[in-house]
Amino acid sequence: MFLWIILALVLVSITIYFLQILALRKKLSENSHSSFLPPVSIIKPLKGIDDNLFDNLESFCKQDYPEYEVIFSLQDINDPAYRVAEKIKNKYPHLVRIIVDGSERALNPKVKNMISAYRNSKYDYFLISDSNVYVEKDYLKKTVSCMTENTGLVTNLIVGVSGRSIGAKLENLQLNSFVILATCLLDQFLKIPCSIGKSMLMRKRDFEEIGGFDAIKDILAEDYMLGKLMHEKGKGVVLSSYMVKNVNEYWSFSRFLNRHTRWAKIRWKIGGIKYFTEPLSNPLFLSSFIPLLDNFSRMSLTVFLMTLLVKISFDFYTSRLIKAPLNTSVLLIPIKDLITAIIWFVPFISCRLSWRGNIYKIGKDTMIIQDNNLSSVRIIFNKLKTAFNH
Amino acid sequence: MLLCDFHIHTKYSDGSLELRKVVDIFGQAGFDVIAITDHVVNGDSLIGKFAHRFRFTITEKNFNEYMENIKYEAQRAWNKYEMLVIPGVEISKNYLSSEKSAHLLILDIKDFIPACESYENIFLEAKKQNALIVACHPHHMRGEIRNTLYLWNNRHIYGKYIDAWEIANRDDVFNVVSLKKYPYIANSDFHKPIHLYSWKTLLKTEKDIISIKKCIKHNKGVAITLFRG
Repeated sequence: MFLWIILALVLVSITIYFLQILALRKKLSENSHSSFLPPVSIIKPLKGIDDNLFDNLESFCKQDYPEYEVIFSLQDINDPAYRVAEKIKNKYPHLVRIIVDGSERALNPKVKNMISAYRNSKYDYFLISDSNVYVEKDYLKKTVSCMTENTGLVTNLIVGVSGRSIGAKLENLQLNSFVILATCLLDQFLKIPCSIGKSMLMRKRDFEEIGGFDAIKDILAEDYMLGKLMHEKGKGVVLSSYMVKNVNEYWSFSRFLNRHTRWAKIRWKIGGIKYFTEPLSNPLFLSSFIPLLDNFSRMSLTVFLMTLLVKISFDFYTSRLIKAPLNTSVLLIPIKDLITAIIWFVPFISCRLSWRGNIYKIGKDTMIIQDNNLSSVRIIFNKLKTAFNH
Repeated sequence: MLLCDFHIHTKYSDGSLELRKVVDIFGQAGFDVIAITDHVVNGDSLIGKFAHRFRFTITEKNFNEYMENIKYEAQRAWNKYEMLVIPGVEISKNYLSSEKSAHLLILDIKDFIPACESYENIFLEAKKQNALIVACHPHHMRGEIRNTLYLWNNRHIYGKYIDAWEIANRDDVFNVVSLKKYPYIANSDFHKPIHLYSWKTLLKTEKDIISIKKCIKHNKGVAITLFRG
């Protein structure tokens, strides 16, 4: 009986995966033409060195767009990213400004980083974009073309590129399958607003109406919250079909684990009960139970291998749609699916997460809970660890 | 201050990345000055023969090609990143015994210097080429079975030829260099991308080769930093 339930779930999972691919195809076929090109302030919060940082930042200075400014915002002049920002500024002195201000009060470090830059930005439209994003020359034009009077926020699809290390390859596989497909499914068929921090364009008037930075300063998933607040205010959250590139070249395996554990915890705090539907987007994981429950019979192994083949074919097709070739990464698909399935369980054990050198504890809607004092057990553990290391 | 790394390997010896990729990694991270220093290994020992057999070394034969490529990449790095790329080699005298082994960087090298020459000849040839000589990882390193201690143990003989000593190499710090008050720099000994995050040198000088060599030699305006990205 249980075996049949799993088999049914695998079939449902493959169907959902197929629907996700349809959603992606539909999204990519969308085209928006608008001659509306208002001046835009691009805010780039920086912290530390990302892969390809110089080119990423420079790509925002090469936009084919009539009037815009680029603001690099940092909290500390000693941040290694400052040197890179300064070099870009020397290259594009009329376009780029650097703002260093660590005095603002916000528990979310990215928000804390941006408040001063936002205050100093010149134009009524502003775009927030992460430092690990690379864009082509037509990015700004195409993104702004999605902005209408009823639109509160325009966000973009992300594609992982340039993976050289195992960690980076796994990261890009996850971005180019689960993340992009789930985003399109939510947007196209479920009509759930989905905003992605890698690129968010807003009007200052709308942003301030939903509470501005005060509304998101203590929220870890500030991108999700912005989308939610805009939606509640009756403003549209538009997912542009323009894909921005998230350059992940030399990620370590632990960094891949860290990011997806963090994202899983965030999704659990945001989605609540809906989080339990996520394994349905991992047919390979579900089908791995079949041989286990059926004593590795020839039939059960055949079902597992067929699911594997279907999953790899789907991922291969997706990679062609988004023009991000899989190459040798194809061999990592089953491993990645298994790892992410295990990661799915982590949020039930811990709500503590690490991001860019800081440790956070999060509550409902990813509200950051200050957690300066480590538990006594952890203190004892750390002391013992130090003692043994010596 | 200029952020510098003077000890970097590429696929020309035992590094994991091509020269172009290495230049880009440092350029993308905002570095001001780097030196490409692939190994020139002695061929008169078992370990040296192994390096020659598996091409983990620059030889007289491919030295010109190596220099040409560095020159090309230096121009590209300057145009794109305003980063200075200095040609160099790491003369590697490898033996089974740590006491006999030594590695030294020759920065701003012009002509090939064979590693099987005597130390005196190597130093004099480097001086003739107006290159900078740096003793690298001169003391015991954590977790390393084969150390390169020869130059440190014979510093009373060779100290006068050496322009600077590596006070830190990747994650190791050699406090003996500090105690002796020798001129110092710190480098990554870069072989793979993760080595980007390691000890580096900061120089307070102009971004040109003459000023940089002078700054290291006189060791004024030199600081080290642990680059953590």
